[in-house]
Amino acid sequence: MVSNYLIAFVIIISLNFTLPRLMPGNPLQAIYGEEALIAMTPELKQQLTERFALESSLWEQLQSYLLNLAKGDLGYSYYYNAPVSEVILGALPWTMLLVGSALVLSTLLGVVLGIESGWRRGKGSDKVLLTGLVMLNGFPDFFLGMLLLLIFGISLNVLPLSGAISPYAGLTGPALVLDVLTHLLLPLTALTLAGVTGSFLLTRNTMIGVLRAPFILTARAKGLSPRVIRYRHAGRNSMLPVVTRAGVMAGRMATGVLFVEMVFSYPGLGHLVHSALAARDYPVLQGVLFVITVSVLSINLLTDLLYSKLDPRVSYAR
Amino acid sequence: MHVDYLKELKQNNAGRAGLITLVLILFLVLIGPVLSTHSPTEHSVATLEPPSAVHWLGTNDVGQDVLSRLLAGARTSLLVAAGTAFLSVSLGAMVGIISALAGGITDRILMRFTDAILTIPAVVVIIMIAAYIRPGVFNLIIILSALGWPVGARVIRAQALTLKERLHIYAARSFGGGMLQILFHHMIPDLTPVLCVSFIQGARRAVFMEAGLAFVGVVDPNLISWGVMLRHALEYCYLDAYKWWLLPTGFALSVTILAFTLLGYCLEELTDPRLRRWDNA
Repeated sequence: MVSNYLIAFVIIISLNFTLPRLMPGNPLQAIYGEEALIAMTPELKQQLTERFALESSLWEQLQSYLLNLAKGDLGYSYYYNAPVSEVILGALPWTMLLVGSALVLSTLLGVVLGIESGWRRGKGSDKVLLTGLVMLNGFPDFFLGMLLLLIFGISLNVLPLSGAISPYAGLTGPALVLDVLTHLLLPLTALTLAGVTGSFLLTRNTMIGVLRAPFILTARAKGLSPRVIRYRHAGRNSMLPVVTRAGVMAGRMATGVLFVEMVFSYPGLGHLVHSALAARDYPVLQGVLFVITVSVLSINLLTDLLYSKLDPRVSYAR
Repeated sequence: MHVDYLKELKQNNAGRAGLITLVLILFLVLIGPVLSTHSPTEHSVATLEPPSAVHWLGTNDVGQDVLSRLLAGARTSLLVAAGTAFLSVSLGAMVGIISALAGGITDRILMRFTDAILTIPAVVVIIMIAAYIRPGVFNLIIILSALGWPVGARVIRAQALTLKERLHIYAARSFGGGMLQILFHHMIPDLTPVLCVSFIQGARRAVFMEAGLAFVGVVDPNLISWGVMLRHALEYCYLDAYKWWLLPTGFALSVTILAFTLLGYCLEELTDPRLRRWDNA
């Protein structure tokens, strides 16, 4: 199981290493972008060529690349004039806030709606929920974001259009918290809506299966109220697959957040990718995408390991 | 034993809706060149004009006819979708069938590789690759397929494994049928439903990813795509232009994805006996 992730990791590293070097022309240009190269002094060029070992064999280049990576050195951004790792660390908290809260919200909403829908299988409200959420799933996350932006930001003009805090407002205490929350609301809603269908469908399907189980009949025969049966008996068992799929969901959110942040200019990693592309700041671009990939891989590995600990059948099955 | 898939597809509401929508989009793409009176790339001085008799959906910031671009974008979307779906299903089928038939160490190695690629967050890696090569339609198909085939490979392998043990395959083998004979005369026809599901789901992913990549801005700048249109329209979202520029584009994209989703769900339900609604509850 761990070997899957190792292979994936090796594929990512080799892509990161070969892509800039496969490009026609000077590899320094591909690594740093044309604009940065024009601005560089000859000494700096010399220094960078030595640093990437660009004049030596590919094997030595790979060695120095891996060595830098192992030290946590993701390169230097000439656009921000700072190490890439520093730039990423500055943007990371906003993305974590957005992804974390969207993950919790969409899972909760999906589970509750899934339980209710599965309980009422085939009735009107189930059909409405099912159709509505499947339709919602057809909307790409960035278009959902744009719709929210157009409705609440532009037509109604009640919520801020972009950013994470009001600039130069000098807010402190509760006012600052409120400001952060109002800025968070739209991107969070877009990301939550984009993720809710997955956990809804999963819970609903499991719920339908669980409701056929004998212990539900027992609970009914004991005379428990429908609400207790629905949540404490059936609902609890329907949540298991959702919890174990949290890793997959986190991975999907990690890519969804890139698009949503671009729509709202939310100053996280997605916005970083956006501006890095505009400025041709390839070190930052590679760094951000590398960090996201590695985080997604680690989260998935972690949930896989946790899952086989919690449910030994999984490891026997292999 | 045999199920008339086409008949059941016609009876399934979701499937019918998806199929009709797709046929409609395909029709619009085919008659697009007749319908659009303007070239999708032709600039004019009439910028950001509201819908009129000349420009049915108005014009954009450089005076291009939005409707013509919408139709051209549909062509790009469907082309990438069909190409990617075909290539990744072919790759997936090849890996899946070889894996199932060969078994042993070949199976283990191929599936290990498949699982490894499945764990990679595709969108992120594709953005990175695209940022360097700025793909047009052809390269988009290649990149999307390179990371898209493992999903199908897994499903097809599972199905091929059960087929391998079926009586008619045994019978064909005992009559001396060779590997290729069995593959093309017995396996592939029986795998068709699974291949169709993979094709539709692959197409759906490709439409979404092509639009996403174009929205991020990592495709060939000359590509006419819904994602590129959304990206440019968003920059002018504070003007009224979004009503005829951003919204129709976004809805066209969503409807296309939705049509593939509905058709995909429906086909999956028809071909997976566990999902068949036998009790109609």
